[in-house]
Amino acid sequence: MSDHLLEIKNLKITVATRRNVLNLVDNLTLAVKKGEILGLVGESGAGKSMTGSAIIGLIEKPVKISGGEIWFKGKRIDQHPDEVRGHEISMIFQDPMMSLNPLWRIGDQLIEVITTHMNISHQDAIKKAKHCLVEVGIDPSRMNAYPHTFSGGMRQRVVIALALAPNPSLVIADEPTTALDVSIQAQILDLLKQICKTRGTSIILITHDMAVISQTTDRVCVMYSGRLAEIGITKEIMAHPQHPYTKGLVASTPQIDASSFEKMLYQIPGSMPALDNIPSGCAFHPRCEHAHDKCRAERPEVLSNRAACWLLDANEGQ
Amino acid sequence: MLIIILRRLFQALLVLLLVALISFLIFRYVGNPVENLLGQEATVAQRAALEEALGLNDPIHEQYVQFVWRAIQFDFGNSYRGALPVADLIASRLPATLELALTSAIFAMVFGVLTGIYTAIHRGSFLTNLILSTSLIGVSLPTFLIGVLLIWFFSVELGWLPSFGRGEVVDLGWWNTGFLTASGLKSLILPSITLGLYQMTLIMRLTRAEMLEVMRQDYIKLARALGLSPRQVYFSHAIPNIMIPVITIAGLQLGSVVAFAIITETVFQWPGVGLLFINAVYFVDIPVMSAYLLLVGFVFVIINLIVDLTYLAIDPRLRDSQLKQEQ
Amino acid sequence: MSGNAMIRRFLKSDFFYDFTHAPIAVVSFVVIMVIVTCAIFAGFIAPTNPFDPSSLELMNGFTPPMQPNAFTGDVFLMGADDQGRDLFSAILYGLRISLFVGVMAVILAMVLGILLGLTAGYVGGWLDNLIMRFADIQMTFPSILIAMLIHGVARGILPPELRYEMSITVLIVAIGLSEWVPFARTVRGSTMVEKEKEYVAAAQLIGLNRWQIMVRHILPNVLSPVLVIATITFALAIIAEATLSFLGVGAPRTEPSLGTLIRIGQDFLFSGEWWILLFPALTLLALALAVNLFGDWLRDKLNPRLK
Repeated sequence: MSDHLLEIKNLKITVATRRNVLNLVDNLTLAVKKGEILGLVGESGAGKSMTGSAIIGLIEKPVKISGGEIWFKGKRIDQHPDEVRGHEISMIFQDPMMSLNPLWRIGDQLIEVITTHMNISHQDAIKKAKHCLVEVGIDPSRMNAYPHTFSGGMRQRVVIALALAPNPSLVIADEPTTALDVSIQAQILDLLKQICKTRGTSIILITHDMAVISQTTDRVCVMYSGRLAEIGITKEIMAHPQHPYTKGLVASTPQIDASSFEKMLYQIPGSMPALDNIPSGCAFHPRCEHAHDKCRAERPEVLSNRAACWLLDANEGQ
Repeated sequence: MLIIILRRLFQALLVLLLVALISFLIFRYVGNPVENLLGQEATVAQRAALEEALGLNDPIHEQYVQFVWRAIQFDFGNSYRGALPVADLIASRLPATLELALTSAIFAMVFGVLTGIYTAIHRGSFLTNLILSTSLIGVSLPTFLIGVLLIWFFSVELGWLPSFGRGEVVDLGWWNTGFLTASGLKSLILPSITLGLYQMTLIMRLTRAEMLEVMRQDYIKLARALGLSPRQVYFSHAIPNIMIPVITIAGLQLGSVVAFAIITETVFQWPGVGLLFINAVYFVDIPVMSAYLLLVGFVFVIINLIVDLTYLAIDPRLRDSQLKQEQ
Repeated sequence: MSGNAMIRRFLKSDFFYDFTHAPIAVVSFVVIMVIVTCAIFAGFIAPTNPFDPSSLELMNGFTPPMQPNAFTGDVFLMGADDQGRDLFSAILYGLRISLFVGVMAVILAMVLGILLGLTAGYVGGWLDNLIMRFADIQMTFPSILIAMLIHGVARGILPPELRYEMSITVLIVAIGLSEWVPFARTVRGSTMVEKEKEYVAAAQLIGLNRWQIMVRHILPNVLSPVLVIATITFALAIIAEATLSFLGVGAPRTEPSLGTLIRIGQDFLFSGEWWILLFPALTLLALALAVNLFGDWLRDKLNPRLK
């Protein structure tokens, strides 16, 4: 228990198709500490967004949580996610152009969220809404503006204001900067990071961008084919990745230093397997140059001292 | 904003003049006004005199202007049958049609939107599947068949509801209404369902499709992630966003309701303008046909105009982009 | 390719696989086929010829279905109408007229729509503008209203003595003219896309004229959406025909279509002779439903964009 805000134990998310049942997230275990920023990284379809949706209880049929538990502040929440959704755990989505209701003034959208979760008068809600806008760097005089009059970056600020308005303890940010201009990305990430640090709010940052991970997160969790590949302190993993897949990810991230101009960027050969065709044993073995018989036969798990890879055991044995 | 409205008005006027042109051509060339007024025994001289008096020898565009001018003053000539002024005929029958159209439009709108929203929210439930498969049959069935089957079941077999006419009508001088008597209201039930059923299924399918589309939008996902209750998500975020297309289609359907009233009025012998028109077609009563065309054209143009303007009033994005275009 | 090979290829195609795995499509297709066969072979299937006055026995009037008539002892599968006409035979012959009008009206609408659409799309300019604006205005009004109007005008132009004889032709023209717009719009859209492609430029270079290019090169490329629209229009045309006939401005009593039969049946609803109404109504219901469902399925399969 202790300092863990959120704990996910053996989470399994599946979708039933006409022919068979596919595992979107398979036996995932992880924890988020109070006040930390945890990165969730992986390719599209690795199960990152599904995990985020599962935490906040927005999994929809035909997809379902078919195993495991989610604990938040010592309470199990996967059965009744609506008790924490919004005021304890909040979420930000990828495309700010689409995530605001086009027919509502932004002030009204803020006030609605505030009055839903806080027992305060309308007057106080207006004050609070203005305060929220100031916090994300938007002029409170724009309370009465419609979303279409804002730029993408400004809209994402509004979305952040909405998500943080009820003072949640955890924010899940699903690719919050992917749809934005590169120049705006850093601003938005810094804003999110700074507000959460002052308030002590934890963040789960979902992204496929290792650069964003290394700049923003305290710890990182690498996912591959719905499974956990590696988890640890960001700095350590960026410096000494254990899992071959993480190594590939780190090596394929551009580094701004003198030597990088001479090096070609590394590419991981092949692509992530389709969900209906996940290989036996370690899901990464067809793309791994060091794979041996055990990798093809048995599935490795993340242990306290190592990533989910049999090679690490073999190395220790030597 | 004013410029936009004026432009829409101008477009509407143009369409209306075109409809008037078709209506004029039918009136002038399909019918034979002279023979109709004088009968076949008239002498050549009599005919020539009348042709001159009616202005049939004037240049064609002047005749058209005359036609439009008279139409504006509600002068559509005399009916071939009974020689009554067409305008009086229409005026005496318009209340019946409008009351029927209004009732069925409200029926279609209310039930269409409600079932559409219900079937979108409760996807895959038993009631949803039942409503959806019934609606498929409803769309495929010709209106008159629905009417006949309703009469057979509710009037003949059960004897609950009247099968024809308007029941007792209260004359208010300028308007006669069936809304004020019990028999009038009872008489409205079957025709309104017959007339509104097709529109209802259409509105339901549209509402459902729009609702499912909106529910996939990110702002709905965000609203749910922010912990708003399903009530708030559905009623204050999803439903307002589907109202624009739904109002448009429902509004446009109102015109069809007036036109389709022809069929329902025939089935139920409802004394409205539709029945007047179908009899005019049957007896080749050209002035009535031409006037009816003008009337329906007018109704359609006005409805289109109102729908367009409502659109502008509801959606702030649309309003701004239109204003930008103007500048 | 030989005929056998073509059939084998068709049986292996995705289209055929999807068809056999969609129960609604199979059932509605079978219903359509049964109805069409009955209509074509009405002369062999029907026990009597309902148009032959000498075969009618007035004593048989109002015989209920499957009950021997009190005077003559004749039995009718679906009963007899007021004139002692066998209803089953009348429905088979009526189907023939309904289907004939439907098919002819669709062909007329299709030919007209394709011609106007090709012209508008290929020639462009003011001609395109004129055709498409006219189409827009026609589309604002329900097609059944347009059909009624054309019908009324046609009756006005025709001399009274020809009105009865020509009523089937008038019906076809009225329905055909009221349904051309969807064809024209689709063909125009595809034509405008196709004419920018290189093979059209190549055809122009080798000296083919406009019509050759349009008919031989562009037309084959727009046939699949046209087929879908034709199926849906066929359903609409059958309903339009039945509606006009029911309203008394379509097929005459001497050559009754399904709509006419239903109109006749409605007169006897209150006197308890329900079968005169019910059987033609059920036939129309089955036909309209089957064509609609099949058309829906075809639209989803061949051209999801039309939805």
